[in-house]
Amino acid sequence: MKQFWIVLKYELREYFENKVFMGLTAVLAILGAGALFLPRFVDMSGFTGVQVTENAESGESGETETPEDDRVFLYLDHAGVVREDILGEMFPGVAWQQAADVEALKSSLEAQEAEAGFVVTGDSEYEYYVFNKSMGDSNTAVFDQAMKLFYRMDYCAVAGLDLNEITAMYDAPITVTETVLNKDSGSNYWYCYVLVILVFMLIVYYGQMIAVSVTSEKSNRAIEVLVTSTSPNSLLFGKVIAGAVGGVFQMGVMMGAILISYQINRDQWGGMLDMLLYIPAEVLLAFAFFGLGGYLFYAFLYGAMGALVSKTEDISKSVSGLMIVIMVVYFFSLLQLTDVDGNVIKILSFLPISSYSTMFARIGMGTVAAWEIIVSFLILVLSIVGVGILGAKIYRMGTLRYGNPIKISTALKSLKKSE
Amino acid sequence: MKLEVKDIRKSFGETEILHGINFEVESGRALGLLGRNGAGKTTTIRILMDVFHANSGEILLDGEKFIPSKHQIGYLPEERGLYPKRKVMDQMIYLANLRGMKNREAKVNAEKWLKRLEVFEYASRKLETLSKGNQQKVQLASTLVCNPEIVILDEPFSGLDPVNSQILKDVVNELIADKRLVIFSSHQMSYVEEFCDHITIIDHGRVVLAGELKEIKKEYGKNRLMLAAENDSVEHLAEKVEREWPDLVRVSGRKKEFLILELKEGVDRRRLMEKLVASDVEVERFGRYEPSLNDIFVSKVGEEG
Repeated sequence: MKQFWIVLKYELREYFENKVFMGLTAVLAILGAGALFLPRFVDMSGFTGVQVTENAESGESGETETPEDDRVFLYLDHAGVVREDILGEMFPGVAWQQAADVEALKSSLEAQEAEAGFVVTGDSEYEYYVFNKSMGDSNTAVFDQAMKLFYRMDYCAVAGLDLNEITAMYDAPITVTETVLNKDSGSNYWYCYVLVILVFMLIVYYGQMIAVSVTSEKSNRAIEVLVTSTSPNSLLFGKVIAGAVGGVFQMGVMMGAILISYQINRDQWGGMLDMLLYIPAEVLLAFAFFGLGGYLFYAFLYGAMGALVSKTEDISKSVSGLMIVIMVVYFFSLLQLTDVDGNVIKILSFLPISSYSTMFARIGMGTVAAWEIIVSFLILVLSIVGVGILGAKIYRMGTLRYGNPIKISTALKSLKKSE
Repeated sequence: MKLEVKDIRKSFGETEILHGINFEVESGRALGLLGRNGAGKTTTIRILMDVFHANSGEILLDGEKFIPSKHQIGYLPEERGLYPKRKVMDQMIYLANLRGMKNREAKVNAEKWLKRLEVFEYASRKLETLSKGNQQKVQLASTLVCNPEIVILDEPFSGLDPVNSQILKDVVNELIADKRLVIFSSHQMSYVEEFCDHITIIDHGRVVLAGELKEIKKEYGKNRLMLAAENDSVEHLAEKVEREWPDLVRVSGRKKEFLILELKEGVDRRRLMEKLVASDVEVERFGRYEPSLNDIFVSKVGEEG
């Protein structure tokens, strides 16, 4: 046990004294946090819908919902139906100006003095001009509504009808009071989706690092001295746990910085990132336990796979089978997010190869009993111990065999024979 | 302290690699463990270090079962290996820690051995930045950092220049003088001759020759003489000997500067000397031939290829 701690300490230094590792962690955390602090310093009202103004007296930032008209739209009304006041209401933050003719309107757009231009050619026809049309351009949809309103107003005026009365009759207000008694999948879906991707990345990225670390000791022959100084169990467990600590540290720092920064700046974002970053504590806790468990489960296997090859360039061959399992589990988990109470995800949430992502998805979005969580976690823990022992045996068998990569089937047969 | 390896057998799968290895070595002495590539030396050492388990046989230390983890063993493997991207001092302390040494003691010892091997200036450098010879010396320092009672050196001189070889020779001699138990494996027979009182030659997993080196040499030199003439080349001399005294000797070898002759049974050295005096051979060298370890090694394991 003492030797395990020595290996662990030494391997941890590999991560924490590595300038690239620490620098990358810091840079990513700062970038993530910095991006979430942006609305405090930069006007992102166009994106967030919340304008932040500086409070002159206190120097603190305050919020107001009345953005100034800083965008210019042009119109040319050949049909005599346009009402500028109504356009102003329907396009908040837009200053409407009348163009002299179509050419003048186009020139203004090309000079980027105005953002968009509308030429109304009839009471139900218009042309839309824009310099660069963005993906989310919804100006025509809103202008359609405005044109329909102008048409109705003119019709009612001619027919002597009361538009307000007709509108009130057609658009009778309905009040709904929604009470979600358990989970709201609609709002929980996205952060579960992100967490599944995150734990998948954690397993693949850090698992690969562990495999490389094991193989490097074979390729530089350090293993020759190490296996005569300590047990293979201490070596593999020390390496894997150090990789786990390193991975969790890096991911924890980045996630922590992002989640805390969002908590601080949630009002400035108008809650628009809630679906990704406003994660309930129970889901985070489940993610921490199951994610870490799944990571350890695969990390031991990655370590064992690393021991089967002698050159780092052969690692991809050695871990390909493992990668297929991880990828299949990943896609199944994502597909099953739309049916979190289905039988498939229920089964997956008890299997150690997939419970790391499916169980916390069920906790986040579906109905899951406490006993199910406990049983699933116990299966995962026992499986980790199992693959840890198996991994250490493969590691011991593979460490001093140089040359061609050893197939996993050959390794297992060798283990069986030696027993 | 006396280490005894008794009838060790080891199989990998269906193939038996070691067919009963025996040898013994005591403190203050060095045993030369010799053999061609693939003879079974490294497997024997790994069994000794408890990396592999023997199928049968036993290893005893002072008559008790030898448990490697209970003793300080310094092992310099033939396949050199440390961490190229880590600092020299860090990895030496790490290895000493793994062998049960506390940090402070490990640091003191690491400094001592790095200084002794004249590489202390590289203590805070990454291993990969050192020359091959200096990396080799760091490896040896790592082997000795735990003050081992038993030192196993597998090809310690490979890659060293003559100056570094001399430093290493001195260190090995100091270890022997310091009553450490040394097992020395090398293909460079001159070094083995220099350090080892006893040798064990392994071939195809079997001990083919073992014993005190002096005795082995004596046995191999028995009835053998060396002869060189001032007025004749080695080739001519050999022809002359075979032509004129076939009933006395036979030519058993030719060296660059002398002939090796083997006296026939019942023939005394003096009779040959009389014949030589009476002949026209101007004797330059004549005397008992003592074979080198290299000759013995080649004669024991060299023919089978």
